Amino acid sequence: MIADSPQRTRVLIASLPDALRKLHPRDQVRNPVMFVAWVGSLLVTVFAIADPDVFTVAVAAWLWATVLFANLAEAVAEGRGKAQADSLRRTRNDAVARRLTAAGGEERVPGAQLRVGDLVVVEAGEVVPGDGDVVEGIATVDESVITGESAPVVREAGGDRSAVTGGTTVLSDRIVVRVTTRPGETFVDRMIALVEGARRQKTPNEVALTILLSTLTIIFLLAVVALQPFAIYSGGEQSVIVLTALLVCLIPTTIGALLSAIGIAGVDRLVRRNVLATSGKAVEAAGDVDTLLLDKTGTITWGNRRATELIPVEGVDERTLAEAALLSSLADGTPEGRSVVELCVERYGLSAEATAHEKTGEFVPFSAQTRMSGVDLGDRRVRKGAASAFELGDVTRRIVAGIGQDGGTPLVVAENDVVLEIGKQLLITRGALTTFSVANDLAKYFAILPAMFAAIHPQLGRLNVMQLTTPQSAILSAVIFNALVIVALIPLALRGVRYRPSGASALLRRNLLVYGLGGVVTPFAGIWLIDLLVRLVPGIG
Amino acid sequence: MSPTAAGLLQVGLLICALAVVHRPLGDYLARVYTGSRHLKVELLVYRLGRVDPGSEQTWSGYAVGVLGFSFVGVVLLHLLQRVQPWLPFDFGRGAVEPGMEFNTAVSFVTNTNWQSYVPETVLGHTVQAAGLTVQNFVSAAVGLAVAMALVRGFVRQRTDRLGDFWVDLVRGVVRVLLPISAVFAVVLIALGVVMSLKSGVTVDGQEVAIAPAASQEAIKELGTNGGGIFNANSAHPFENPNSWSNLVEVFLMLVIPVSLTRTFGTLVGDRRQGHVLLGVMGVLWAGTLAVVWWAEANGLRPLEGKELRFGVPASALFANATTGTSTGAVNSTHDSFTGLGGGTVLLNMLLGEVTPGGVGTGLYGILVLAVVTMFLAGLMVGRTPEYLGKKLGRREVTAAAVSILAMPTVMLIGAGVTAVLPSTRDALGNPGPHGLSEILYAYASASNNNGSAFAGITVTSDWFQASLAVRMLLGRFVPIVAVLALAGSLAAQREVPRTAGTLPTTGPLFATLLAGSVVLVAALTFVPALALGPVAEALP
Repeated sequence: MIADSPQRTRVLIASLPDALRKLHPRDQVRNPVMFVAWVGSLLVTVFAIADPDVFTVAVAAWLWATVLFANLAEAVAEGRGKAQADSLRRTRNDAVARRLTAAGGEERVPGAQLRVGDLVVVEAGEVVPGDGDVVEGIATVDESVITGESAPVVREAGGDRSAVTGGTTVLSDRIVVRVTTRPGETFVDRMIALVEGARRQKTPNEVALTILLSTLTIIFLLAVVALQPFAIYSGGEQSVIVLTALLVCLIPTTIGALLSAIGIAGVDRLVRRNVLATSGKAVEAAGDVDTLLLDKTGTITWGNRRATELIPVEGVDERTLAEAALLSSLADGTPEGRSVVELCVERYGLSAEATAHEKTGEFVPFSAQTRMSGVDLGDRRVRKGAASAFELGDVTRRIVAGIGQDGGTPLVVAENDVVLEIGKQLLITRGALTTFSVANDLAKYFAILPAMFAAIHPQLGRLNVMQLTTPQSAILSAVIFNALVIVALIPLALRGVRYRPSGASALLRRNLLVYGLGGVVTPFAGIWLIDLLVRLVPGIG
Repeated sequence: MSPTAAGLLQVGLLICALAVVHRPLGDYLARVYTGSRHLKVELLVYRLGRVDPGSEQTWSGYAVGVLGFSFVGVVLLHLLQRVQPWLPFDFGRGAVEPGMEFNTAVSFVTNTNWQSYVPETVLGHTVQAAGLTVQNFVSAAVGLAVAMALVRGFVRQRTDRLGDFWVDLVRGVVRVLLPISAVFAVVLIALGVVMSLKSGVTVDGQEVAIAPAASQEAIKELGTNGGGIFNANSAHPFENPNSWSNLVEVFLMLVIPVSLTRTFGTLVGDRRQGHVLLGVMGVLWAGTLAVVWWAEANGLRPLEGKELRFGVPASALFANATTGTSTGAVNSTHDSFTGLGGGTVLLNMLLGEVTPGGVGTGLYGILVLAVVTMFLAGLMVGRTPEYLGKKLGRREVTAAAVSILAMPTVMLIGAGVTAVLPSTRDALGNPGPHGLSEILYAYASASNNNGSAFAGITVTSDWFQASLAVRMLLGRFVPIVAVLALAGSLAAQREVPRTAGTLPTTGPLFATLLAGSVVLVAALTFVPALALGPVAEALP
């Protein structure tokens, strides 16, 4: 599980220098849980140097490994983002703008010197120097660098196809673009900032979770610190090494270690799917998804597509889909939009007239960035767009592929957005790993408490249900498990917990079963297995 | 009838009575705290106190009201005990010694009713009636008020007002606590509880202390206070003469906390929200009762420390109710319980007293845990967490965290220091794990504002008096301020409409999750300490 492919091992090794650099307290203090683990490692190291024996040195080494693995997770996630940012930056750097002067002439200036309102000329073969609107002319533009879509798109003055993005290439004709964004704030700039994490601020949910994790850390700190006087009272004073080992095992290091990697990897996944989120907050808001729907338009000729069929997915009934499709198209004046309205009226008997309530909705026009249009109505957000603009579940993806093979053009309609399951996945991954982390503590108590106190209260030896060999092997096994589980879960943190659209209760039940119950059982097995090996070490077993 | 059958009958009667009463009482409470009309006597109180009953407060204003009122309560109680020699019905018992007097003042204002004094020799009837009994009423009303402020946080939208503390306080006393305790004082007199202004009677040449017990007994249980007018508390035949009075007292402890779940459901507009809380409380209560009962019935000396007129079942029932609520009255010596039985009543307190908890404190305690539960559950279904239509963000989680952290922090620090103090050994009745259980119990009792004593530990030294009093203050008011802050940030929000993707909080899934969180938070915090005390005692 730790390295199920050589490639993954290579990535881990390549990130090791970054992980070591992150041991600096300046980096550690930002993460309260791992900071406590870091201080604990330092403390045990001091004791290990003062009075070295096999057990002490081993505990110190594995505590450092715990901290290092956390850094490793973050470094791997950042590494992936950095590579992507570099390729984006290349598209931007060399852009030179041909700015129209007031006198009617033309001057060549670097793209970085453009101001909002400037008019620039872009001709075939040139790169658009900044974000803006076409005010004159019509051109085909290759936007693959942004969208990944290789087919060129038409951009023309006026209407809803006038937006162009810096970094894209004009393939034919000549257009005049009015710059709408200052350099440094363009689409590509924001994308780079986002993936590099330079401006990655913690999202509200992340902040709240950090508070909860800090609370748990304080609780365990208290429980362990207060344990020493109780142990002294009972005649079984404990060493600082054992107490520190217990503390690091109990605090939620698993989620603490992976928290920032989850966030970075989530934004990274989003950008890979060509969706720009202005902030992590937007991504999470997008996670409040309710239904995923699909419709289909058969292609006749470009510019004259007609919707022919609505295909609901995964527990959505056809009428609900029709209503959502209608809602998303009511304010959409394009032939496609009108054909969706017609289909809904003809086949499902819906009214083409918007109700008074529906009229209060805010129409969101199609844009090159989002490649979807739709309507915001109260807290309902309905979006319609190309299948590639959505993160799709397995079933939906198969349906989409099927339509494409039949020569149709699939469009996806999604209610309550949208941008995707990634937002959901982010939250679920954090929640699931927190649950897993806390559930792990039960087994750790069963491993460590009998090891600490069976000498003074032999009856507590009965709690050693894993039959761990010696007190030293029990404590060391728990510490090793605690460190290794971080590495084991790095792939999950980067990929995100699998999400299937289903009811909230079903989702919760499933995640509780997998990560709650799984979190209780796994460490019993893991610690027991590690003990089988650890007890072979002289001085431990 | 065998003791077991009698016990089961009592439990059955109790559950039936609560099932019948909690609906009308819960709805009545909802009306009391939402109505706009004032009674004449209430208007008189507002005029005397120079309070404008229409002016609602922000969360911080409400908190200042609670803290100010409680501070004045401590000062008055302190003065009353110091001037006792000049008061009527003092029976020459003199001014109360400062450490004890401070501890007692704090204890009654915080609804703890920890008693480091022996009532029969230290306090006269005036201090009892004008001091302690008054606090029995108002401290319970404060708990109710705070709970109602939190409920308003869930119900109200886009406002910074949580209600008027003074109105809530006065209504709680006048419309809820006074009438019910008046009725039950009469019931208790009829059942044989003593009510007299004399200091004692001479029986066979022996002086036996008596007191106005019945009037204090009713509010002692109803307000989940627990401070006995006799040292032996509800084990004393004058406070609790027979099985019927015992059952009535258990009923009184549970009735308001149980009814408040109904009040909550009614006020948030979905009764099932209250049912699910009651379900969680009820299952945990029944579970711990079964453990205590079984452990005590199968102990080495089942009747040690128990009154013969109650026997094992009624003692277990009382012990479980007094620790599951925030009462702390006792009809048996918890110190004599088995390791498992004693450990379980200790656990009842460490759960944060939510089974079903004290008057008001139980409701806000479990709501705070529900907030944390829903935060994690919300993440696990991939939505911005929300509970009852209110989003749970940084402010809400912080407030809930502070509220939950307060009790373990003060409890563990206090018990930890005490365990290593050299003077502690002399104060303990037992060495070894049982001695540690005695320390843990005392600090859990004070930090949770329970007030029940494990006994077997002498707590009259300055260290115990002061450190326990500080625990009572912090354990009471830190959560209250945090709960009010939580209410404030909830009330400021607009309600998020519930959609198909909203996680329901009425079904068995949420109930299981909430019960799990209640147990888990306590288990993770206290398992190491319990391992050296009750667990080491209980394991063969």
